[in-house]
Amino acid sequence: MLEVSGLQASYDQLQVLWDVSLSVSEGEFVALIGSNGAGKTTTLRAISGVIKPQGGQVSFLGKPITNLAPYVVCQHGISFITEELNLFEGMTVHDNLLLGAYSCKDGKKVKALLVQVFELFPILHERQNQLAGTLSGGERRMLAIARGLMSEPRLLMVDEPSLGLAPMVVLSVFSALKALHERGVTLLLVEQNVNNTLQIADKAYVLEQGSVILQGPSAELLQNEYLRETYLGKR
Amino acid sequence: MDWTIIQNLLVTGILRGGLFALMAVGLALVFGVMNICHFAHGEYYVLGAYAAYFAYVTYGLNPLLAIIVAALLGFLAGAITERLLFFPLRKRSKGEWVMNAFLLTAGLSVVLQSVYRLVFGNRYYGITQYWDATIHIFGMTVAADRVMAFVIALLAIAGMWFFLQRTRTGRAIRAVSQDERGAMLVGIDLDRIQTLTFALGSMLAGLGGASLLSLSPAYPMAGNKPLIASWFVVTIAGLGNVQGAIIGGFIVGVFESVSYFYLGQGWQEVASLGLLILILLFKPTGLFGTEIKSVWEK
Repeated sequence: MLEVSGLQASYDQLQVLWDVSLSVSEGEFVALIGSNGAGKTTTLRAISGVIKPQGGQVSFLGKPITNLAPYVVCQHGISFITEELNLFEGMTVHDNLLLGAYSCKDGKKVKALLVQVFELFPILHERQNQLAGTLSGGERRMLAIARGLMSEPRLLMVDEPSLGLAPMVVLSVFSALKALHERGVTLLLVEQNVNNTLQIADKAYVLEQGSVILQGPSAELLQNEYLRETYLGKR
Repeated sequence: MDWTIIQNLLVTGILRGGLFALMAVGLALVFGVMNICHFAHGEYYVLGAYAAYFAYVTYGLNPLLAIIVAALLGFLAGAITERLLFFPLRKRSKGEWVMNAFLLTAGLSVVLQSVYRLVFGNRYYGITQYWDATIHIFGMTVAADRVMAFVIALLAIAGMWFFLQRTRTGRAIRAVSQDERGAMLVGIDLDRIQTLTFALGSMLAGLGGASLLSLSPAYPMAGNKPLIASWFVVTIAGLGNVQGAIIGGFIVGVFESVSYFYLGQGWQEVASLGLLILILLFKPTGLFGTEIKSVWEK
């Protein structure tokens, strides 16, 4: 579904991605893992159009999407849930969700989507009329993911959903992602939390210093010597 | 306290306040969504006035139609300006956006005033009245033109309220003012929203100029007073907040009417500026300004 090849990206003069290639098939749950500064967020930003890559190609559903504006990429069916969440803080949960469905002009469809999303995230239904800025950390994550779902994306890219959350909340976010996967949503998850992520993802790419150094099905990676030492602290 | 006097002051103040609010809303919208300190806002007021004059006098359209045409021309002019000036600036401006945009509007103001002078000359283009009638409010006799201008302003503000609060595009405008990246990521075309916002701001300014044609004629520098008045309201109310601008407009309208009555024209301006200084001293973010940056939500 998503094909990334030879992606190169920089922030001004600092090159962050050197040669990133990955692919996500329909219905897969793919993880992009690595430590801080490896270039995981940059990869997602380049795919979604938030930054323009210096080199490489990105194609989605067979169509090239490299260098397209973010709003166009969104219309192609990719929803990017950023680490900062980029919620509309001054608006209610309800309005944030409505905006998630911005590309859809059919009022009835939007209402139906809203119902579905509230089923998935009942806490958001409770907090419907609350301002997004007043929600707790976990609730904000849920809202961001829910908002991303409102556009009925073919691919959901989530950047470090567990960051800064209490362990209990992390579990609920991860189980929400797992539930989404079970419903057939294709997921690309970026995470530093390697252990938890490899438990639920189908396959993963390990990013180090802007290049993919390891890749494969999660089960295999969990057995990989280098990975175990470097990221799981096992000797 | 003479009740008649209070009534008179309130009526005058509110009638004026409506137009202040109208102008301020346009300005607040542009600043709140596009982060532009718009100093050419008055020039679109003048454009509206010129347009209404020609529509009414030269083409003989009825007053309401003339005013609507003027507003639409304001919208169009705003859209063209945005595409020609701010769209390229957004692509090129690396840092210092606020300063760059402000300087651009300052230059635009000079250019537009010169264009008006070139095309129309320095003479005043005014009319004595749109509607030959007076209306009695609380025993006062008020010119129909003034009341109609107020009603039009109120309708425009109400329309804008509905648009921002209830429509998909209005919601998108609010979203862009709160989180640009978030807006991009939900599929909103930022450039189109920016153009629309500037067009709306200019439309409201043009509507103001057109409605007040009989009270303030069109001439090249006619935009200066409305510009200052709009900035005054917006600064007192809290930059970039539209709801605040609406309330602020009425507050300023009544304040000016009261201070004019008790202090006379010269001192009235001192009182206004004194009010501005006091508010900024004690609440620099303005009466309704808050930490949350939003064009609509407080």
